[in-house]
Amino acid sequence: MRQKRGENPALPTRTKHPGPYERMVIAMKTMIEFQSVTKEYDIGDHVLKAVDNISFSIDEGEFVVILGPSGAGKSTVLNLLGGMDYASSGSIVVNGQDIVGLKDDALTEYRAKNVGFVFQFYNLIPTLTALENIALTKNIVKNPIDAREILSLVGLADHGGQFPAQLSGGEQQRVSIARAVAKNPAVLLCDEPTGALDSDTGAVVLTLLQKMSRERRKTVIIVTHNAVLAETADKVIRIKNGKIREIVLNKNPKSISEVAW
Amino acid sequence: MLFKKMLRDMGRHKTQFISIFLMAFLAVFIYAGVGGEWKGLQKSSDSFYRATNLADIWVYGSGFTEEQEKAVSEIEGVVQTERRLDLEASADLENKPRVTLSFVTKNDISSLYLLEGTDFDGNDTDGIWLDKRFSDARGLSVGDSISLSYNGFSFTKTIRGLIDSSEYVYMSGGDGMTPDFYENGYAYLSYQAFPVPEMLTYSTLLIKTDDSGTDWEEAVGKALNGKYSVFLLRENHPSVNMFANEVSQHRMMGDIFPVVFLAIALLTMMTTMTRIVTAQRVQIGTLKALGFKKRSIVAHYLSYGFWLSLAGSVLGAVLGPLSLPHLFYPSMSGFYTLPEWKPAFSLSFLGMAGLVVAACTLVTYIACRNLLRETPAQALRPKAPRAMRHGIIEKSRLWGRLGFNSQWNLRDASRNRVRSLMAVIGVFGCTALLVCAFGMYDGMQDLKDWQYTDINKFESKLTVKEDASEEQISSVKDKVNGELLMEGSVEIRSEKTGKKKIGALTVTDHVTLISPTDFNRNPITLPQGGVSITCKMADSLGVSEGDMISWHVYGEENWVTTKVAALYREPTSQGISLTRECFEELGFSFRPTSILSAQKMTGTYEGIAGILSTADILQSWDDLTEAMMVMVYILILAAAVLSVVVLYNLGLLSFTEMEREMATLKVMGLKTRKLRGLLLTQNLWFSVIGFALGVPGGLWLVQIMVSSSGESFDFPIRLHAANFLLSFAITFGLSVLVNRLFSKKIRKINMVEALKGAE
Repeated sequence: MRQKRGENPALPTRTKHPGPYERMVIAMKTMIEFQSVTKEYDIGDHVLKAVDNISFSIDEGEFVVILGPSGAGKSTVLNLLGGMDYASSGSIVVNGQDIVGLKDDALTEYRAKNVGFVFQFYNLIPTLTALENIALTKNIVKNPIDAREILSLVGLADHGGQFPAQLSGGEQQRVSIARAVAKNPAVLLCDEPTGALDSDTGAVVLTLLQKMSRERRKTVIIVTHNAVLAETADKVIRIKNGKIREIVLNKNPKSISEVAW
Repeated sequence: MLFKKMLRDMGRHKTQFISIFLMAFLAVFIYAGVGGEWKGLQKSSDSFYRATNLADIWVYGSGFTEEQEKAVSEIEGVVQTERRLDLEASADLENKPRVTLSFVTKNDISSLYLLEGTDFDGNDTDGIWLDKRFSDARGLSVGDSISLSYNGFSFTKTIRGLIDSSEYVYMSGGDGMTPDFYENGYAYLSYQAFPVPEMLTYSTLLIKTDDSGTDWEEAVGKALNGKYSVFLLRENHPSVNMFANEVSQHRMMGDIFPVVFLAIALLTMMTTMTRIVTAQRVQIGTLKALGFKKRSIVAHYLSYGFWLSLAGSVLGAVLGPLSLPHLFYPSMSGFYTLPEWKPAFSLSFLGMAGLVVAACTLVTYIACRNLLRETPAQALRPKAPRAMRHGIIEKSRLWGRLGFNSQWNLRDASRNRVRSLMAVIGVFGCTALLVCAFGMYDGMQDLKDWQYTDINKFESKLTVKEDASEEQISSVKDKVNGELLMEGSVEIRSEKTGKKKIGALTVTDHVTLISPTDFNRNPITLPQGGVSITCKMADSLGVSEGDMISWHVYGEENWVTTKVAALYREPTSQGISLTRECFEELGFSFRPTSILSAQKMTGTYEGIAGILSTADILQSWDDLTEAMMVMVYILILAAAVLSVVVLYNLGLLSFTEMEREMATLKVMGLKTRKLRGLLLTQNLWFSVIGFALGVPGGLWLVQIMVSSSGESFDFPIRLHAANFLLSFAITFGLSVLVNRLFSKKIRKINMVEALKGAE
């Protein structure tokens, strides 16, 4: 059997949910350590704290949902995790590397190797086909997963030659996920991935993301304001006004299909 | 992958990128094309001068002896000398054409350039080497005989060869500006072929010098003990001078025009890339989020500017010299005579191509730079509008009284100062070009009327033969009821400033058929006693009424000093004018060179070499202006293109920036017509300012072109009212046209699309 590039052959492929014992073993490894992080904006006469002294940790393979109302600061946390913005203070250790204080080039390299982004509005390059959008990753990492393989993984093998404008919202989002996963990053950051989709399509997308976490041991972090998703996550971080309100661990997270919309 | 993106993006904005490619191409094409042309001319003429060992100095006098020649050759720095006899004979052919004969001693300096026949033989007493252009016009060939007469002497020689001469690259054609190879020619003979050996004197001394910057005139003058009448350096030789002027005019065109195209290319590049980068803001953020290095993203967008301009420039650099010169050379070779017409290639063409590419890439970089500075997070969010400040106008009381239209536009203009300035400059450029075009045309018309209607009141001008007798002259004069006129050349020196200039000499014998005018074109009568001088000549010498000037007839040795009695203005030639009485009082002998008549004359008269009718002159003048009309049309077209391209591009920029606001207005219910009115107002404001500045700018441009056209021209530039209105109409018409192009876009604003994405 041909070995999938990037995957560790020593670990067995998972086909069912890990039970509590298995998860305890896996959860030994901490992927993300967010420590006393603050992000401030200087607006003329006062200082706005978008993220106010937030701390949390996330383990490898966890499916995390960050919940909060509009303007709570959840997107900012995601941006900081992805090295897309600079923290004012604190430390963010991802996969053993503290990214606070890194300069632009180093951040870009960190992002290229460790992070896959999924946006609310897909953000595909409109002048490239679905396949070409995924193949962009060849310019970013040395050994990305083959574009066609990933495309089949998300169930769009026949749509490779189509441009984003010819795809539905759900299909575009799946291409976007394929693009993010093709880099084989340790972390998948998703900003309202189903925000622009109807509930059925959204369910397909979320199932895919959950699969990434459970079958491929990717750390998946989803930012949303849809509280229903809380039941499917391994960990739920609630944020309000830039501060953490509570962190909840789900011993038995439900699968997407089980949850009522 | 990103390369594919670039190609597809370019495909989307086809028109913009095609025009950038075209402008880059044109800039280099014209630079290299015209450059290849004038460099080719320069190379050809330089090698021609070298091959024939063209003289560095000509000295004319009444007869140079061997001792004099020896004295000059002993001056330090003088490399070679040769004596020669030049005289004007007439050929025994139809119309008695003028043939300038050069009886040559060694044929080492300013030697002939053989095209057909046998080489020059200094011992040949019967041979003549004839100007090929003349022999072609006259149907003569090697072996034919030709009869010539000079001062009553007639002699016949056999044509041994047909030649070109580096002293006649340009041969002036008597009264006209275009050379007439039928009526004028030249020939070389050996001094041994001179028909009356006892009367042989050498009128000309040719000198070759080295490069030392000696004051040659002083040195030669001393060696000759002042016994000469004219000292001519190569740069002042009429043929060399005329050709050099022509080359430098072409050079000026070839250097200036490409700048315009380059500027347009850069402007279009800047606006296009700004548009693209602005529109692709989210894409750029995405690429950054994916992990693309900033360098790669920058390189990607730079490549848009780079590849396009590279393609255009290289194509232009290659095609230019191959095609443009061949457009010019045919008409040039009708005017000038060179053994070879070949374009020249120069590394500077590639340099220009490189400059264009560098400029386009730089401009692209500037357009992209700001956007690429944002963090990915910022780039993915909608762009914040620029910080607003209330300007002075807004705070004044006037503000409240202005309508919404004016308020909006004032705010917009002050927020985008650069863009507003560029719009004004665009209209300014357009207006200036239009005014220049019309100004040139009107100026030529004015000139024609001034010289040939206001001043010249004669219908015919009969040129008197050099050897005509007094009886012949007076008999013709009586027959045609004519007036005698003497014209020649003088060298004038101002006693006050020491400046020297060569000008025209006009001596009138009770002439009423020439009516001189003053500076403002009003008719005046010149004083009977004393010497009058033209305004421009007075200016160049730095003299005014009452000052003293010294002058001598070109070709003669004695100088006189006289007082400037009056100033008059002549548009086509500069010099001095005096009456016959005055002239004879100064010790000169009056020899009429033409007879003026108020009647239209035809036929032949004894003693008369030819008849020039004012009608003919006006005809050749119109022919000349026809060539100019092409230039005028090109200028007008260029003005239109410039204005449309600039205004459209700038409009595009502002449209893109304002799209959101305009969509909002549309959603709120503002009618499309009113929306259009907003943009139109802004355009109109810029057009008014640009026009007001463009008119004086254009007039200034015309002045420059006029002053480069020659020292003998002097006329003011005036824009006729009709053409002024025309330029106004064209300028504003173009503004409105550009606006129409935008109104379509406004109607098409998809409100939903434009307002989406604001999270």
